[in-house]
Amino acid sequence: MIATWKRLLAFFRGARLDRDLDEEIAAHLAMQEEEFRQRGMSAAQARAAARREFGGVAQTAETYRERRSLPWLDTAVRDLRYALRGLGRNPGFTAAAVLSLALGIGANTAIFSMYHALLLRMLPVSHPEQLVTLYRTGGWGRGFSSYPLYLEIRKRSDLFSAVFGRSTVDKTPFRAANGDRPETAQVELVTGNYFAALGVAPAIGRLFTDDDNRTPKGHPLAVLSYDFWKRRFGGDPAVLGQTVTVDQDRLTVIGVAARGFRGVEVDHHPDLWEPAMMADTDFADVNQYWLWILGRRRPGVPLAKVQAAMQVLLQQHLTGIYGNHPNAGYRKMAMDQHMEVRQGGVGLSYLRENFTKPLTILLAAVGLVLLASCANVANLLLARGAARQKEIAVRLSLGATRARLMRQALTESLLLAMAGSAIGILLAWWGERGVLQFLPAASGEPFDAAPNPTALAFTIAIALLAAALFGLAPALRSTAIDPAECIKSGGGEAGHRGSRLRQMLVIAQVAFSVILVALAGLFGHSLAALRSVDLGFRNQNVIQFAIEMPMAWKPAQTTAVREGLLARMEALPGVSLVSFGAPGLFQNGSSSGTVRVPGSEATAHEPAWVSMQSVAPRFFDVVGSSPLLGREFTPSDTAASPKVAIVNQAFVRAFMPGEPHPLNRVLSFDEKTFLPIVGVVRDIPYQGLREKIAPAVYVPVAQSPTFFGSVLVRTALPRESLAPAIRKETEKLGPEIAVSDPRTIRQRIDDTIFQDRLVATVGGFFGVLALLLAGVGLYGVMAYSAARRAREIGIRIAMGAKRSAVLWMVLRGSLVLVAGGLAIGVPISMVAARKVAPVLFSISAGDSLTFVSTAVVLLAVGLAAAFVPARRAASLEPMRVLRQE
Amino acid sequence: MSTGAAKTDILQGTLDLMVLRTLETMGPQHGFGLAKRIQQISEGVLDLNQGTLYPALLRLEQRGWVRSEWGASESNRRAKFYQLTRAGRRQIERESQDWERTVALMARFLRPAE
Repeated sequence: MIATWKRLLAFFRGARLDRDLDEEIAAHLAMQEEEFRQRGMSAAQARAAARREFGGVAQTAETYRERRSLPWLDTAVRDLRYALRGLGRNPGFTAAAVLSLALGIGANTAIFSMYHALLLRMLPVSHPEQLVTLYRTGGWGRGFSSYPLYLEIRKRSDLFSAVFGRSTVDKTPFRAANGDRPETAQVELVTGNYFAALGVAPAIGRLFTDDDNRTPKGHPLAVLSYDFWKRRFGGDPAVLGQTVTVDQDRLTVIGVAARGFRGVEVDHHPDLWEPAMMADTDFADVNQYWLWILGRRRPGVPLAKVQAAMQVLLQQHLTGIYGNHPNAGYRKMAMDQHMEVRQGGVGLSYLRENFTKPLTILLAAVGLVLLASCANVANLLLARGAARQKEIAVRLSLGATRARLMRQALTESLLLAMAGSAIGILLAWWGERGVLQFLPAASGEPFDAAPNPTALAFTIAIALLAAALFGLAPALRSTAIDPAECIKSGGGEAGHRGSRLRQMLVIAQVAFSVILVALAGLFGHSLAALRSVDLGFRNQNVIQFAIEMPMAWKPAQTTAVREGLLARMEALPGVSLVSFGAPGLFQNGSSSGTVRVPGSEATAHEPAWVSMQSVAPRFFDVVGSSPLLGREFTPSDTAASPKVAIVNQAFVRAFMPGEPHPLNRVLSFDEKTFLPIVGVVRDIPYQGLREKIAPAVYVPVAQSPTFFGSVLVRTALPRESLAPAIRKETEKLGPEIAVSDPRTIRQRIDDTIFQDRLVATVGGFFGVLALLLAGVGLYGVMAYSAARRAREIGIRIAMGAKRSAVLWMVLRGSLVLVAGGLAIGVPISMVAARKVAPVLFSISAGDSLTFVSTAVVLLAVGLAAAFVPARRAASLEPMRVLRQE
Repeated sequence: MSTGAAKTDILQGTLDLMVLRTLETMGPQHGFGLAKRIQQISEGVLDLNQGTLYPALLRLEQRGWVRSEWGASESNRRAKFYQLTRAGRRQIERESQDWERTVALMARFLRPAE
């Protein structure tokens, strides 16, 4: 142990210790010489005799050095120095290799670290693999369940060892005892057994129990997250027992949750937990879906069994409530719900729903990018190996073993890979930021700012893999030569096998880029199709923000607040027109209702579902969509005036096809009041560009009051300059009214298609990258082969070959390689296209435009890459070439 | 083997003990002095390249049995002096016992059969 340590130390002081040894040996020899001289030898004799007595000086020094240090480390360092020198001599090669590796490794690190954070990372709770989430799907929203449903599921102790629930994580007004100004905190309402079921311990104080969640509004308690405690209270244990104000409630802090526990949601992290009983809701209401249920599966109970049991339970629950509902359409919709049982160990995430597919596609794409960059580096290494063949031959004939040379070559590869991953990690950081730009503002913060160890380990692993991928073949190749042959031939004639390997690599590179370019083309085409969806209105720069008032407010109060707000908005400088709609355009959430249209086949037997909007006067004027028929609502449509409705084109198509006078028709929600249709407007795909446009009914907000909705502000000003003024106005509304960030409708639409924009943009970026790499590879191979054939080409030209024929000959060589790549890449990308077809919009996986243009682009790259070598070959002076030989 | 003049190759591990013992009797000593002394004691039986001594000294130093420092020789030349450490002394004791046991054992085998 001590010896190893001393040796390691010695390793780092090698040069000084070498001098020491030399000096010691010199002293020894001098003393011996002196003794011999004293015995009567001549100086020369004494010198020779002393050396003889000593034995081989160099040999001793070598044994000594070996003993002194760790031999493997020594050789490794020598290899490293050698590799560094070699790389330093070829800065162009080194830069190209490191850069292409950095791109490949960086892209993988970026995408993987997101993939890991969103899909793989387990919650820091006990036995996360036992957790399941009960995800409600169907016509009525997704994810959340009602409190009565929770209580029923909780009874199933045969399946679960614990069932618990939590609300969304909501940004809520917050004030600490020592706080002098209002703040906000992320608040999550949880059932009493939440912490115990997760197996989360307190850092200090205590956590909730079932006894802390018995009576509505009866448990004004709070538990803080560790991060929040540190951040807001400086980690002061005196926070226990303090009172904090959350929303309107004064809560006593009873504890802080364990460090590292950030809730069960991946995208949003609570600062503070409250007992679920503190919610402003009717706990008996089966129609309030606000609780997301999780369970801890009993060991040995299979997921499928839980799934089956939950489905039965939900259906019985729904039958109990809606089984006898008189409205058949309503009943059908209400019963059409399912309970998906999902693995919960990786936490809950809304983002995961929409982001998994694009992320998986990108993960596959970056894998291809890495392969392409490895092929590129292997190609560069081979080219350089060919140039260094003579050097290698000399070293081999001087006694270096092949293993030794291989090791040196691989050391160099490793060095390149390490440099590539160092830069790659920087690129990944930058690239991740780039990808995050695409996420909708409401996505929360699922991804750590700091790189996490798993992602770093992944980077190192792929760097090593890359080094093996691109380093091994060239290392084998360049050392498998017959030194005598090579030296005899002057090193000029590189093996045929070497160039065959390079051609294969280039074909592979072309194939990789075909796949990437084809996929990017599909995504780009799909995005273009989405962008060309008819929006039905012109003013995409209208700024929209959502407001939500307390549900308990009377219509008179909500109307007064809303109208006051609209008036103040209209008074802002730069604002031309303001209106209001609930829910609004491209907002999350939707309103729907059932209608009957007298005289319509479609609603003859049961009422039909339609999409609903309550809109204020001039709504269509603001967004720039004048009614096709009739009028839009005006201030004279009041609560007291006769009730009226506006419908869209889809409504006319669905319920009165071919009707020449829709304005003569009426519709009814309750089959008592019949609303005349006063206008027909264009279809607006406000539920999402991908959604089929539903029949929609617009009613005056004055006649259908709501406590929520969106304010629409038309302005010629850019959003950035008006948004602060809007925020300033909305802040005056007070803490009871939640207001979202003002964003243009254009931005909202972008949010709804963020996956498409992401895969198209990032995929396009990777496609261009792969093209670039393929171009470099093609150029390298063509330039090399043209140079090798200079003599042959010279003779051809001397014999009268036309220069254009020579030009074409070289270009054709490149096109053959591209054709080879296409032959491999196109079938693979067609298979890949079928995999991604579900995320494509309105184009098929076999989109011919995409595949034809991919082929054209690659052939063009092939021509461009070969053009310079081809022209050089065509302008050879035969006499000069032949004289050079 | 029959002639006493035959020189013996050095037995693995014996050189260490010789060096340690020599240092024990002579006190701090430089490499040349050690080499000469070992040759003297072995009376020419041992065919020792003086150079072999240095890796051995290094090994002893790495194990912590000797330590070295630069000093001046009798003729005022800069030389590296080796010195026994406490661990080295203990090692001599241990190894001497081992040797004695081995020698006694071998002697029993080599004694003419009775």
